[in-house]
Amino acid sequence: MTYRPTRLEVNGRSVELPGLPDDERLLDTLRWRLGMKGTKEGCRTGACGACTVLVGGESTLSCLTLTKELDGRAVTTIEVGPEDAVVSRVRSAFSAAGALQCGYCTPGFVMSLAGRLRERGAAASREELLEALGGNLCRCTGYASILRALDQLHRGAP
Amino acid sequence: MVPFELVVPRTVEEAMAALRTTGSGSASVLAGGTDLLNDLDDQRLSPTRVVSLRRLPWRTLDWTGPQLTVGSTLPLRALEQDPEVARRFPGLVQAVRAVGSVALRHQATLGGNVVRSAPASDLVPVLLSLDAEVDLVGPKGDRRVPVDRFVRSSRRVDLAPGELVRSVRLPEARPSSYLWQRVRPANDISQVAVALAFSPAGRTWRVAVGGVSPRPVLLAEPARLLGSGAPDPAAVREAARRAGEEAPFKTDRRASEEYRRRVVRALLARAVASVVDAPEFPR
Amino acid sequence: MTTPAAPIRPDGEVKLHGAALYGTDLDVPGMLWGALVPSPVAHGTIRSVDLSSARALPGVVAVGPDDLDRLLPPGPRDEERPLFPRGEVVYHQQPVAAVAAPTAAEAVRAAARVRVLIDPLPVVSDLESIFPDWPGPEAATSPHVAAHVHARHGDVDAEFRRADRLVREVYRTASVHQVALEPHACLAEVTDGRWFVRSSTQTPFGIREDLAALLGIPESSVVVEGTWVGGGFGGKGAPLLEPYALLLARASARPVRIALGYRDEFRLARTTLPTVVRMETAVTGGRIRARRVRLLLDVGTSLPGRDFATGYSIGFLLGPYATATFDIEGYAVRTNKPPFGPHRAPLAPQCAFVVESHLDHVAREVGEDPEEFRARHLWTEGDTTPLGQTVGPFGLGAAFARARRTAERWRREAPPGHGVGVGVGFWSTSTGAGGEVRLRLTPSGVVVEQGEREIGSGSVLAGLPAVAARSLGPPRERVRVEYLDTSTAPFDSGVYGSRTVGALGRAIDEAAVDLRARLGERLGGAGPVTFRAVGDRLLARTGGRELSVAELLTPEERAAGGLVVGGRHFGRPGAVDERRVVDGTFYAYRDFTGTAHVAEVSVDRETGSVRVERYAAFHDVGVVVDPASARAQVEGGVAMGLGTALTEEAIWSDDGELENAGLKDYRIPTLGEVPPVEVEFLEGYLGAGPYGAKGLGEPPMIPVPAAVALAVREACGAHATELPLSAERVARALKLL
Repeated sequence: MTYRPTRLEVNGRSVELPGLPDDERLLDTLRWRLGMKGTKEGCRTGACGACTVLVGGESTLSCLTLTKELDGRAVTTIEVGPEDAVVSRVRSAFSAAGALQCGYCTPGFVMSLAGRLRERGAAASREELLEALGGNLCRCTGYASILRALDQLHRGAP
Repeated sequence: MVPFELVVPRTVEEAMAALRTTGSGSASVLAGGTDLLNDLDDQRLSPTRVVSLRRLPWRTLDWTGPQLTVGSTLPLRALEQDPEVARRFPGLVQAVRAVGSVALRHQATLGGNVVRSAPASDLVPVLLSLDAEVDLVGPKGDRRVPVDRFVRSSRRVDLAPGELVRSVRLPEARPSSYLWQRVRPANDISQVAVALAFSPAGRTWRVAVGGVSPRPVLLAEPARLLGSGAPDPAAVREAARRAGEEAPFKTDRRASEEYRRRVVRALLARAVASVVDAPEFPR
Repeated sequence: MTTPAAPIRPDGEVKLHGAALYGTDLDVPGMLWGALVPSPVAHGTIRSVDLSSARALPGVVAVGPDDLDRLLPPGPRDEERPLFPRGEVVYHQQPVAAVAAPTAAEAVRAAARVRVLIDPLPVVSDLESIFPDWPGPEAATSPHVAAHVHARHGDVDAEFRRADRLVREVYRTASVHQVALEPHACLAEVTDGRWFVRSSTQTPFGIREDLAALLGIPESSVVVEGTWVGGGFGGKGAPLLEPYALLLARASARPVRIALGYRDEFRLARTTLPTVVRMETAVTGGRIRARRVRLLLDVGTSLPGRDFATGYSIGFLLGPYATATFDIEGYAVRTNKPPFGPHRAPLAPQCAFVVESHLDHVAREVGEDPEEFRARHLWTEGDTTPLGQTVGPFGLGAAFARARRTAERWRREAPPGHGVGVGVGFWSTSTGAGGEVRLRLTPSGVVVEQGEREIGSGSVLAGLPAVAARSLGPPRERVRVEYLDTSTAPFDSGVYGSRTVGALGRAIDEAAVDLRARLGERLGGAGPVTFRAVGDRLLARTGGRELSVAELLTPEERAAGGLVVGGRHFGRPGAVDERRVVDGTFYAYRDFTGTAHVAEVSVDRETGSVRVERYAAFHDVGVVVDPASARAQVEGGVAMGLGTALTEEAIWSDDGELENAGLKDYRIPTLGEVPPVEVEFLEGYLGAGPYGAKGLGEPPMIPVPAAVALAVREACGAHATELPLSAERVARALKLL
């Protein structure tokens, strides 16, 4: 078998990962190999949601994902540019509602909501958006401002 | 974490070959990874090779008459979002939705949950109540084993070297319900749980409980006491009382044995009401 | 089409694009990854710590107790708090050595190669195993007593003898963790005698002082630079990893990063530990005549004489209710756990739960309406506290009255099986050791130069600009906060104790008065100076004269980047009446901040599960400085309080190991458990901050467990005397088990 480095498409950009260890997590690849620190390391056990990114558009816990398994797949993180219309919408809603405090959980919340909105589009109900955030822990906001952002997204659905 | 070699086979044969390790080597099977990777981090497992099932063609959902066959690597999220599964196996979908978060369920699989057989699994009780079977492929051929025999103990299953769970088979649609008690409702581990199902073909009930030691179990006597149709309130009370007595509940940091015994009574009575009230329940 | 409103959070954009770098994100070329070598037991005698196999690994640096003299200057080091223990380890996972390696995985492997030989000693994990009852005379010489506090006034025994009714109860509260989502992390570099550490800390100057003492180096050679802080809640106010990172950086001559994994975050954190509180209250003729309060507080391995928590928290067990005759006593009890540390309003929510639940129970026992009974005894302005302080402007009575009106309405609307509870709490705006700022007036705006970093509350990034805009007068969008490290920033005590806006706001206000006076002189006009922005220029006006700031600055000031004026605030608390103090240190209040909360709950009578359905919070804040931040503080504090009330509990085994380290088994609220919170501020009862503002970091957390517990009692009759009110505890109180 000829060796070919693992390839990912990260925020629309093609990335080759030569020398990628087999046991490396997507979280560590993003943060330490690609220098993309926007995705946060929290509990590293799938219980806090801080490291949530999109893989193929679906919310995914990057701490519980081996990078090498994702060869050829598209990864979207909080660093994605304004060309991602869904993430931009979520950002605008969070900004208008002041839906963040320390900000450490924020990337996970944004990506969880973006994943759900991307999947369901205008049809996303409030309940579905709430469900999408059930695995994201926030200690600062008491979720109140995040729910105000969510309601803007829900009402603002075209 | 000890470094390991990751193998991502594309065929079952390649997968079985990859599982054959030599010398002091050992192999672990990776499905969704949401449980296995925690064990690797904590060094409860230190395999030299990890075999990922991600590229095997097992992300399937097949209906054959009343039977549902769920490919072992189908993400739980796909299972819960299928309206037909929700209609025919409401208890299964309730249990799936009790597992972790949406993001976790994009990754976690039914096969992985059964093979990992955590003592607090939310899915094993439901599979017991549905008389589910697992289809295995292995170097010595295929076999089919009821989940009740497949899951032997806490984190111990009847899987020979080189064997893989290809699918989980649910023999018939059943009015069913899964109810749990937790410290925190969302994204937590169940302290005690009841999976209840009614078999229209056999006109019999199945009662399974979680939060017991060492693994979820079917309770025969409470099921018998529920009779062959919609039970009367006295029968429900008696079945619930027996469930509280019969199940091998345990004390751990999540709950005491006596609390579990008390709560299972309430959960069973509520589960009966929810199953009997469903429009699919045969009159 | 409407114009978008100005963003509520000045840090929204940077955080919503993943561009904010926290302590965990620090990364420089050539950096090594550090790891601590933990003690495998909670108590034992160290026989040896052998670093040789770790050092044999390529690129690995290891340091242990024998290396300190080699790596550190000969000056005296804090002997009570050695970096590595030499004789005994006293808590599980206590660092006994530290390693650094080129990668994270190599560091973990190197740490595992350190051979630690420890002879186990008996572990004391549970404070009630030491003192199953109230300690007798043996406490005076017990090695388990870290501190003792005692105050009294009047003859409690005589009042108890002649009382109509004497009610005795015992309460227990659990250990809770801060759970800032960002675990502790820092990056250290040591070059040319400069000990530089970047850290996500709440107290850059505080840890500078501590690091100097721990390492035995002059404070002037330590530089601390803050990063974005991923939540603090009291947990990031003292050095934890910094001394080890500096030591490893010194040993390796490389930058060294240390970050805790989340399980170690739980195991090593200094946080709130369990308490047992004995409450005795005598009532005669509908009045509380006397109270005896006895507190046993687990302080882990806090050093004798260094315990602040006992004298501090015990005050919350006396107030905010008038008690002429009292006897209050507390012991700080040492166990084999990490030292006690602050957690948002340390122990105040637990104490409010005890006081409110107990007085509610007392009222029921004597046949009184519980809320009426409590209202009758609340402190009001002009009252003397048990420890002899005069109560200043205090909106607690007003908040309680508002809360009761809401509670009455909810009771009328609530379905059967629901219960409504009202809990109160009080707090005092801390001053810490004071603080200073500099205001820099530039041709285009105002810069607040200071040393704190934003920890999430908004106090630094939203609160300080709000004060600068209000006190000085420029449009708020022309005020910017600049973070400086400890080598260039003016001193400040830290972001804790609800003090940031209170103390630094007063410092800004002082600087603003000075700055306006100077501008007034330069403008030569009469009356107050006002500002307006035109294009990118800032104009100042007084009387009829208006000039651009650029024109008002001297050439030297323009060359130096603006006119710089300093402000400082070193407020003093009041004093307690020392004649009432028998032993130990009690803390006086600086102002009196009241809060009353209303919770509506439903209780599952078969499982004991509690669901909070509605919530309202009434806060005496003096003056609201930044409305959006104030509301957000209350919403977040209520959610955190709900965790303490219902689900959060750190559980130690008899071996002194934390059994539920990690977020899977330690449960903070998710969005499904937090109801909508109605927030109302009561202004006008002025406090210690700028314009009379009172601190708002801690207060929102304080009444939550009390309000929930009283609502549970009303809903189903369960009188639970332990926190958290887990479903199992409620089931026991309901006699289901």
